[in-house]
Amino acid sequence: MSETRLSRRTLLTSAAAAAGALALPARARAQGAPVRLGTLTPLTGAGGSYGPPMRRAMEWVVGEVNAAGGILGRQVELVSEDDQTNPEAAVRAARKLIDVDRVAAIMGTWASAVTTAVAPLCWESKTFLTTVSGSDSITQLPHQGYLIRTQPNTHLQIGKLGDFLLWLKVKRVFVLGAQTPFALPSQNRLREILTKGGSEMVGAVIYDKDKTTFRSEIDQALRTKPDMVYLNGYTPDVTVLAKELYKAGYTGGRIALGYAANAKFLASLPAEVTDGIYTAQPTSALESTGYRRLAKALGSDDLDPYTCQCHDHASLVCLAIGHARGEATGTAVRDHLRRISQGPGVKVDSAVEGLKLLAQGKAINYEGASGPCDFTESGDILDCKIRFEQAEKGKFKVVTTL
Amino acid sequence: MLGEVGQLLINGLVAGTILAVPAIGFTAIYAVLRFPNFSLASHLTIGAFAGYAANVSWGWPATGAVLVAFVVAGLAGVLNDELVLKPLRPAGVLTTAIAAVALTIVLENVVRFVWGNELRGYDLPIQRDWHVAGLRIGAQQVKNLGIAVGAMLAVFAFLAWTRTGKAMRAVADNPTLADIKGVDPDRVARLVNFAGMGLAGIGGMLVGLDTSIDPLTGFRVILSVFAAAVVGGLGSIPGAVVGALTIGVGEELSLLVLAPAYRTAVGFAAILLVLTLRPRGILGERAY
Repeated sequence: MSETRLSRRTLLTSAAAAAGALALPARARAQGAPVRLGTLTPLTGAGGSYGPPMRRAMEWVVGEVNAAGGILGRQVELVSEDDQTNPEAAVRAARKLIDVDRVAAIMGTWASAVTTAVAPLCWESKTFLTTVSGSDSITQLPHQGYLIRTQPNTHLQIGKLGDFLLWLKVKRVFVLGAQTPFALPSQNRLREILTKGGSEMVGAVIYDKDKTTFRSEIDQALRTKPDMVYLNGYTPDVTVLAKELYKAGYTGGRIALGYAANAKFLASLPAEVTDGIYTAQPTSALESTGYRRLAKALGSDDLDPYTCQCHDHASLVCLAIGHARGEATGTAVRDHLRRISQGPGVKVDSAVEGLKLLAQGKAINYEGASGPCDFTESGDILDCKIRFEQAEKGKFKVVTTL
Repeated sequence: MLGEVGQLLINGLVAGTILAVPAIGFTAIYAVLRFPNFSLASHLTIGAFAGYAANVSWGWPATGAVLVAFVVAGLAGVLNDELVLKPLRPAGVLTTAIAAVALTIVLENVVRFVWGNELRGYDLPIQRDWHVAGLRIGAQQVKNLGIAVGAMLAVFAFLAWTRTGKAMRAVADNPTLADIKGVDPDRVARLVNFAGMGLAGIGGMLVGLDTSIDPLTGFRVILSVFAAAVVGGLGSIPGAVVGALTIGVGEELSLLVLAPAYRTAVGFAAILLVLTLRPRGILGERAY
């Protein structure tokens, strides 16, 4: 067997050649070369059920863009990695996307822990990051604009919940909140909205969710004679609270967030206890053509919010690069994204249509399958649709969307 | 205000009576084996799940399921003591107590492995509470009170009038003398483990009857149980009852001045207070 040996001279020559090639201006290298974008979704691990459709949505957008001639004639190449719902694996995958594939943007991180771990790599390498993580802290990272998220934060969700309660003409609201980082901010936000709308927050209790009984908390709530109780906890404690409110003879309204009062919640309690409870959860723009087009393409009539958001991530990034006249870098995406996502331009709901208008020199405003996709300076969305449902005979029925 | 205090007293007495059942178990094991057996937490959970199986899977009524909770948790207690804690007892009290903490974590995860993490509720009719003179009393609360009082009476009768009960008290009082008199300490140890952990199992089920159960059920109440035993006097069975009622009522009455989130602190404060002012506890440490 012959041995291949790499002499020092060949090594040096090839290294020098490689270095030389890298030193060429980016524009020269990229002439006609494909635009590279990365997806980093949880294909395995706790988020493993969400990641695959998220990736498919992005692949579909890129496929459509390429079929229509790419971004200003350049094809888009999608490199997909699995973050395993694990920050450590996510960092390894992100390093590969940034250092080896040299993508302009990483799209679709799901778990807040993953996003928090990957974000510094992105802003340090000037790679753009789009995420669906909800934790308030994410947009407070020093990301220098290299990050946007399409999932509403606590402030936005509770604001809508307050609007809904005002819409229901509720007058006296009591908040039973589990002891969590979002308990106090959501309480304050709700009080602000209710007071502004002429209703009142008659009281609030933050409870220790690990207690076995909440009788005293319930008594405290009922003494204020509320006509609506907001149960701001997780499924286990909200289940107990709903049961105890019923036992206490309370007949007023109850509302909880969709992740707490979910299907499991309904299944574990008899209908007479759960009937009438309202839930609030972020929803995609179900009526939009963007949503319907995506649903048809993916062969499902019930897309989860993350899939819709990822569709919008890929569309937004392609449009931003289009607006930057094909400059496929993270900085270009950062500088151009808000010029296509909001403002007075023509409303578009697909990347293909938007790119066509951009080529004609028109201004556009992208409205996605997940919602309006308008962003604040810090990367949060300005608005999002929240769907309100009410339990009836052990099933949820849509009441309204705000 | 008066109505509020009355309601808190009722809630506290009911919570205290339920707490007293596992607290008796804890203090009885301490009286005989002389170490704080923190694995009581997971036996509470085991009892709660055994009762759940009887109630939901086989359709037994709650009162019958409580017996299953007692027997299964008691047998688990004997087995775990024989296999894990007994071999470690010669190494000292601290070692055994730490091993008991480790054991409770292992057992809790065994429960999680079998039943999963989700929350389960017993199959009981949900009834509206009764309102009497402005006070609210739940039907389930009254039933739980009955079961708890029944279990306590049985324990007292057993200790006072049966030969084995007397033997247990003898070992608790003076193990050497009891040994000389021919009382088999191993047998008494097994018995107290069975009865103590069985009572913990009943306690776990009573806690779950009013709310719901998950693998952390026992872990959540163990601090209050420990506080009740210490306050009443570690090793004293009537003391455990007094301590449990004190903790139960104290936790509820604290709500007059504290936010509910700080209620857990009452247990700690009570332990601190008693250990500072009266280290032997309210009733001292005489077993009976």
